[in-house]
Amino acid sequence: MSLDPITTEVVLSRVRETTEAMAHALFHSGYSPILRESQDGTAGLTDAAGKVIMVGGGIQYHSMLYTKSVESLLAAYPGDAMRDGDSFICNDPYQAGNSHVPDMVVLTPVFYHGRRIAFGVSVAHKADVGGLVPGSSGAAAREIFHDGLRLPPVRYWTVKGVVPEIENIIRTNSRVPDVVVGDLRGQVGSTRLGAERLIALSDEYGVDTLVAAMQSLIDRTRERVKAEIASWPDGEAEAEGFMDHDGADLKTPVKIHVRTIKKGDRLTIDFSGSDGQTKGPINTPAQTCKAVSLLATIAASDPTIPVNAGAFDALDFVLPDGKVVSPLYPATVNHYFPTSHLAYACVVAALGKLNPARAVAPPGLGNGAIAIGYKEGRNGKPTVQYELMVTSLGGTADHDGTPMVMGMCHFTPSTPVEIVETEYPIRIRKFDIWQDSAGAGRTRGGIGFVREYEMLSDVILTARTANHEQPGWGVAGGEGPPVCVTSINPDGPDAIELAALDTREAAAGTIVRLEQTGGSGYGSPLERDPARVLEDVRDGYISTAAADAKYGVIIAGGQIDEAATAARRG
Amino acid sequence: MSSWMVGIDTGGTFTDLIAFEVDSGELRVAKVSSDPSDPSSAVMAALEELFATGVKPAEIASLVHGTTVATNAILEGKGVKTGLLITDGFRAVYEARGWARPDATDLIDPFYRKPPLLAPQSLTHGIPGRMDYQGNELAPLDEDAVRQAARALKDEGVESVAVCYLFSFQNGAHEQRTAEVLAEESGDWRVSLSSVVLPTIREYPRQSTTVIDAYVGPNMQRYLERLSDSLIERGVVTPQVFLMQSNGGLMRITIGARFPNQTLLSGPAGGVVAGEELARITGQQEIVTLDMGGTSTDIAMITGGRADETNEGKIAGQDIGTPMLQVRTLGAGGGTIARIGPDGLLKVGPESAGASPGPACYGRGGELPTVTDANLVLGAMAADNVLGGRMALDKAAAEKAIKTHVADPLGLSVVEAAAGILRIVNTNMAVDLRLAFQSRGEDPRKYMLAAFGGAGPLHSTMLARDMKIPKVIAPLYPGINSAMGLLQTSVRHVYLQSSVARLSEIDVGRMNELFDGLEARAAEDVREEGFTPDQVTIHRQVDMRYQHQGYQLPVDCPEGALSDADKPTLKAGFDEAHQRIYGASAPDEDAEVVTFRVIAEIVVPRLELPRIESGGDAFGAQISTRPLYDLETASFGEAAIYDRAKLAAGDRFDGPAVVQQFDSTTVICAGMSCVVDPWGNLIIDTGEAA
Repeated sequence: MSLDPITTEVVLSRVRETTEAMAHALFHSGYSPILRESQDGTAGLTDAAGKVIMVGGGIQYHSMLYTKSVESLLAAYPGDAMRDGDSFICNDPYQAGNSHVPDMVVLTPVFYHGRRIAFGVSVAHKADVGGLVPGSSGAAAREIFHDGLRLPPVRYWTVKGVVPEIENIIRTNSRVPDVVVGDLRGQVGSTRLGAERLIALSDEYGVDTLVAAMQSLIDRTRERVKAEIASWPDGEAEAEGFMDHDGADLKTPVKIHVRTIKKGDRLTIDFSGSDGQTKGPINTPAQTCKAVSLLATIAASDPTIPVNAGAFDALDFVLPDGKVVSPLYPATVNHYFPTSHLAYACVVAALGKLNPARAVAPPGLGNGAIAIGYKEGRNGKPTVQYELMVTSLGGTADHDGTPMVMGMCHFTPSTPVEIVETEYPIRIRKFDIWQDSAGAGRTRGGIGFVREYEMLSDVILTARTANHEQPGWGVAGGEGPPVCVTSINPDGPDAIELAALDTREAAAGTIVRLEQTGGSGYGSPLERDPARVLEDVRDGYISTAAADAKYGVIIAGGQIDEAATAARRG
Repeated sequence: MSSWMVGIDTGGTFTDLIAFEVDSGELRVAKVSSDPSDPSSAVMAALEELFATGVKPAEIASLVHGTTVATNAILEGKGVKTGLLITDGFRAVYEARGWARPDATDLIDPFYRKPPLLAPQSLTHGIPGRMDYQGNELAPLDEDAVRQAARALKDEGVESVAVCYLFSFQNGAHEQRTAEVLAEESGDWRVSLSSVVLPTIREYPRQSTTVIDAYVGPNMQRYLERLSDSLIERGVVTPQVFLMQSNGGLMRITIGARFPNQTLLSGPAGGVVAGEELARITGQQEIVTLDMGGTSTDIAMITGGRADETNEGKIAGQDIGTPMLQVRTLGAGGGTIARIGPDGLLKVGPESAGASPGPACYGRGGELPTVTDANLVLGAMAADNVLGGRMALDKAAAEKAIKTHVADPLGLSVVEAAAGILRIVNTNMAVDLRLAFQSRGEDPRKYMLAAFGGAGPLHSTMLARDMKIPKVIAPLYPGINSAMGLLQTSVRHVYLQSSVARLSEIDVGRMNELFDGLEARAAEDVREEGFTPDQVTIHRQVDMRYQHQGYQLPVDCPEGALSDADKPTLKAGFDEAHQRIYGASAPDEDAEVVTFRVIAEIVVPRLELPRIESGGDAFGAQISTRPLYDLETASFGEAAIYDRAKLAAGDRFDGPAVVQQFDSTTVICAGMSCVVDPWGNLIIDTGEAA
């Protein structure tokens, strides 16, 4: 069915309204700070085969994972086993599309007069789904069974409401059942709202028109991505980066390598030079690796292109089984997040060489999260505090990198100090900028930060960030930032530096400091205007010593020593 | 002697004045160019136009002013050099801007930027001292550090200092002491304390709001002093001079400099207040306002006669937590440009041709097709009737622009392309309207759509039909309705104080203490404004949530001191609100109180809309007929054209029809009927019966 461009635009605006309404419902009905402060979730729509059409809010790379979830669901409930009014859940990364076990997927098939036209889908991170440690994602995990309760695609809701047996299984397996079930029900509500809206749109515009408009959105993204790729010169580019280790063998760095080949209007993204899957939990599921590669492609071409499955049609992946970015069952994947972020940074770096107009220095490496398990929260019940830890963006040809956002999709998941201390028995001692954490460059990276906690009760702490040993890199003569550091009692005689991925019992009084690095620099720091270097010194972003050592700007008595600077810079 | 009420609204391009004579209901309007370098000169110039019509300065009984001085200072980065004192070790709070919610394309654009810090890190000083989450002092304030910071800021030449310490909303003692030390070090500074500006939980929005207060406060103070002096010099001596606030209420100009943040988003508030007034006179308590001007459309929900409020405002990316009327703004206005997007689909907006060069049909050099051009081509607007005939529109230019940029590329006729432009801009507005209804859990079938702005009445009947809204109201002067809103409200101050606790556990004595504290602040402010305590009406609310939730809902408190017996009433009120808005409630679960709120209102002289003459037969008001395109049937039909000035109360007529007047044009679609109410409002029945 061919639609005119006016009707298509009208119907797609209504589909956009639907996904926005779904996202609003998700973030306003959730119970945990994960949804309301970190917005670690999405809601959106796929077509009847699972191709992603559109997503509202939250974390974009979650969304491209919907496809695999739908495909598993269709396999598990074939024929007419799926009924109008059902909603399903699943969270096994090897069956569903989720990146790791705490990301629960909710799926609601949308039936219009018996015809299945779409799925309403939501992915959202759960505070705890069992497993080795509070928060579920433990450093000691060696296989997926350690990561927590895994559900295959299973019916969770019917026209009569919740399926209590299933909900009881989830409750029984979580350390914080109330918030997990509260958030899960919020996801169900969001996807069912999406289904209701699509049915109303089918009534209003005709179901064939609706389906054709949604399909055309996918087609248009495919064509725009292909046209972008076609506008670059043919060629190849590579990039690579390292994770410190896999969490099990602490001595061996793990390589992510990407080779990108642009020919005509097609782009091949080849990860076959990456290391094999690991024993420890840093593996990233193949679907996640593909999703972040897709986002990187759009970021490196034209971010106004709507993100949907169409972009996949312009990409060819070489992703052999058994790599750290394509692990085989039963590898553990709980710490996939920084690995996927590194894969994203590598693809952006490689594509920047193919399309220099969009080249940027990479974001700081080391994105992750902390989970703190309390026997008793402020309300007397066991509770888990979960906070995302981000870095900052790299410098661009135009401006310094933006501080303190997630690299793959730029939101700031910063839970307010006053909310954290009100809800959990903990004190935040510091949330400060980290001097000299921005990679030096003509435009520098965004500044990094220090966040320091004091435990007020005995807890189990899992700090899972990354890149405490393997640094990021600068672009076009710029420099990489320092590596991230996590330490316990950092200023005391018993100071311990933690591995990037570490779980510890921590007694009341313990101090935990996370230093999350800034972004990388773009262009030679010696080309940065000395006046801007002085401004950075005055702002405390860089030290006088770094102004000299990195930027060749000599500052004395709060002023630039012009002669010394000229001599130093040559 | 006549007695005039005057509203003066400063906009980006024009400063609008409306004046009503209290006894006769006579209306006069004036429009002058705004002068961003000296906005008070445009205010005075507008008044001179009024005086030129014979009104004497001493005849002005009250004057309400909507100012954009503070807003422009932020938009243009022209606030004062501002210092910032924070809890030592927390410089990342402002830098991170933890509320940042980039829009969809920024989410994946590596070139994304956050807005600039209004107080840079170089002027930010960390001060040792700490309160815990209940307001208990963990570490005393380091006064020496405050003194050192003050001296450093003095050397830097800052004009203003913001202070925001952690948990100051629970205990403001450290901030208060800091203010004393700062005053000792430099008496000239304007000092903004977060525990005064916005004592609510969440340090980032509180800090951002406090910094804005400091950053624009001195600009506001200078402006208001100059304006007050000019008014008195010119003989406008009434003490009834007020500023419009973004909460929809007024404040006396004498205290305006203390609350600059309250004016930041006051622009759209006038229209919302006018909507509340329509709710009052028509008895239709559920209204959604659609204020469509040249570049944008503002949408607001009025439920139970009251406009929704929010504390999540934004100007140029800067976050403002000050309570204000909730207004959704989208890029859809008469000057909004239509173009083929990179995906090959027809897009309308958000770019606008504005007033200059304006739509192609204005003949001022605009070559791109706009919404106004489409309306002209489709017969909704007349070429000879803009601004009461003072401006002619060039239909051939409109056709050419649509043909070149839309019709030819899409292989459509000019009329089909123009209809497409309208369909899309209407859809864009309908999407935002639906999202507004959804976020309140409200049903459009209970609502009346109030059509404001020069362009609102052109689109509203079509929109209402698409939305299944049964009625549309177009007030007597839609184009200047927002300015009229300035004259239809009361003095209003809103005071907030967060204190998080479980409802079942909090001591009612503590609740009363919090309310008493807020009421004391209210009493102090209204005394300074020159009101007596008996003029003040106090409303009290408490914002509540279920445990673990991130969003609160306000619940009305009974009058007088609270007792334990009131707790179940509050809980029931919260359950009911939650059920209404989110479609679910948990009567068995405990609730948390989060923020206490006191609203002080004082009635001041306000415009009572006069009734118009009765008629009963619209025939005499009909000027002519002309072909009007109907989007539903995709064809032209002959529409009756009416002169708004000749319509009388009780007149009835059916669509298709167009009502023309100097400031707006109303379209009544085929199949709809219209009646003129006693105040001259057009009440249009869309046929979508409730």
